[in-house]
Amino acid sequence: MTMGLADLIGATLLVLGCAFYGAGTVGLLRFPDVYNRLHALTKADNQGLLLVCAGLAVLSGSWGVTALLAVIWLLGLTAAAVSAHLIARHARHGPDPGVSAEEP
Amino acid sequence: MATETRPSSTLEPRERLLWAWQVFVVLVLLWLALNGLRYAIPGLVAALAGAGMAAYLATIAPRPIPPLRLASFALFFVVESMRGGLDVAYRALHPALPIEPQFCRFSLDLPRGQPRTLMVSALSLMPGTLSAELEGGGDTLVVHALTPGAMASVSLLQSRIRRLFALPDGAEAQGSGTAT
Repeated sequence: MTMGLADLIGATLLVLGCAFYGAGTVGLLRFPDVYNRLHALTKADNQGLLLVCAGLAVLSGSWGVTALLAVIWLLGLTAAAVSAHLIARHARHGPDPGVSAEEP
Repeated sequence: MATETRPSSTLEPRERLLWAWQVFVVLVLLWLALNGLRYAIPGLVAALAGAGMAAYLATIAPRPIPPLRLASFALFFVVESMRGGLDVAYRALHPALPIEPQFCRFSLDLPRGQPRTLMVSALSLMPGTLSAELEGGGDTLVVHALTPGAMASVSLLQSRIRRLFALPDGAEAQGSGTAT
């Protein structure tokens, strides 16, 4: 089996994307409260999704598939940003409004 | 999010037309991505129907979005969100967990509607910032920052959004983050 340059680039992007998903999950486990965890989930996972989509686009070698992947990334991006805001807003009105640094 | 609800009858026809145009462009692009040029006629009809519905239901005036400025903003956004991903991945994996989280308040210097909605949504993907809540009827944004230095992204993003929507400069310097 031979691997072309495009396959190599695509596979590298896929592995990098998975690494960011991994880092996001590590952040979810290690960060102290809901707000910090949201940082990890939205930003690292969005980065992972971007790299995975880019890797798949390179591997597919097709503009049609690339356009679909771009739509997937944009929808994932929007969902991440909006849900992070909604969860944070809900948390601020809940029984545990945040870390002690919130109010003077 | 930042929505001003005035009676929908107060929107001018020109404003409704701009809404219809913007929604039409988005729907046509979506159809092209999903189906290519196959079934172009049903796609156009569906996009027109969606655009008409958007113009009918609109409650707040849209803003023109020049394509070149949109491309420039998209580039800025991709670069900054990649920095954001790298930054939070580094902090999550670092043994010492180098975060210093805090809430800050930021007075928004953006009109209601699309500019504020974009600000609140995009800020959560910038390095080290998370938009937690809108206060004061939508004029103040409560930001959760991973580090005190992350608040710089807030005014940077705001100035890029002002540029995207071709809002005049000037009042830009007023929006400043204050730690609470």
